[in-house]
Amino acid sequence: MKPSDPLRVFDARALRRHRARAARLGLNAEFLFERAAADLAERLGEIRRRFPVALDFGCRGGVMARALDGDGGVERLISADPSEALARRAPRPAVVLDLEALPFAPRSFDLVLSPLLLHWVNDLPGTLLQLRLMLKPGGLLLATLFGGETLSELHAALIEAELETAGGASPRVSPFADLRDLGGLLQRAGFTDPIIDADRTDVDYVDAFALMRDLRAMGEANAQRERRQSLTGRRTLARAAELYRARSAALGGRIVATFQTINLTAWAPPG
Amino acid sequence: MPEVDPQLLDILVCPLTKGPLVYDRAAQELLSAEAGLAYPIRDGIPIMLADEARPLRDEEKARLKAKPQS
Repeated sequence: MKPSDPLRVFDARALRRHRARAARLGLNAEFLFERAAADLAERLGEIRRRFPVALDFGCRGGVMARALDGDGGVERLISADPSEALARRAPRPAVVLDLEALPFAPRSFDLVLSPLLLHWVNDLPGTLLQLRLMLKPGGLLLATLFGGETLSELHAALIEAELETAGGASPRVSPFADLRDLGGLLQRAGFTDPIIDADRTDVDYVDAFALMRDLRAMGEANAQRERRQSLTGRRTLARAAELYRARSAALGGRIVATFQTINLTAWAPPG
Repeated sequence: MPEVDPQLLDILVCPLTKGPLVYDRAAQELLSAEAGLAYPIRDGIPIMLADEARPLRDEEKARLKAKPQS
């Protein structure tokens, strides 16, 4: 793949670096991941089935394993993450992998669980196809990912501030998946009976800087290839924070950040 | 030294070729003849990233070809 390929939006190395930094910072902003993992565990609990071998795709520090707490019909959970620093913190067995080149033989898993990772995939059709192939017939994919409304307020404030102060905007917030596309993508990847829905969580912060600190602690900071390499000026960031606050509806001068979570359930066709 | 999980080894393939891997226990590496790469295993965790893998030397490739893979 050429480095200039416009379709490769995310930089895999940057993603690994950001997740390693989240590990170094002690995984102290895990609330969205804990909630996503709890939701996945709950949905799994409603499916009364045994899953002898499951993959935790985006294991972070083992947040999914803790939510399952040995339950959910999962007998054996394999932890996997693009970041070695995170995989080391997860329960064994663990493996480090590239989101777009998965290292598993066909028909290896009864279940793939993925709490908030798939929004970092460049080639979502390709990764979904690989996930479907490594599921056993009748196997289940349960995943959450951040949707297109995530961080819309931050996005708008940064773009406007960049236009004002730098005379041009560079991509700053990841182009998250569009809800409407996912059903078709799943079917084209050979999944059956996809169910897709979305949740919205509003989180309030003291200011935009506190939000950006949290994003770094989550490992969810911008990992786009085309991101302008020069440091975004202090003036631009300060202006963005000002614009954000001026538009935010939160009480007491706090700001609100929207996180949209897309939940997907899909099955590999029976044998 | 923590050992890599044997059931995990059973389902791992080369991420680039999806071809088989040969486990070199002494070196703690997973060798892909087709890709010509050796993926490291660190503290029992296979690192299945092409940019962390070591290119195989010619004699290693020859040895892998000579040995039927199980």
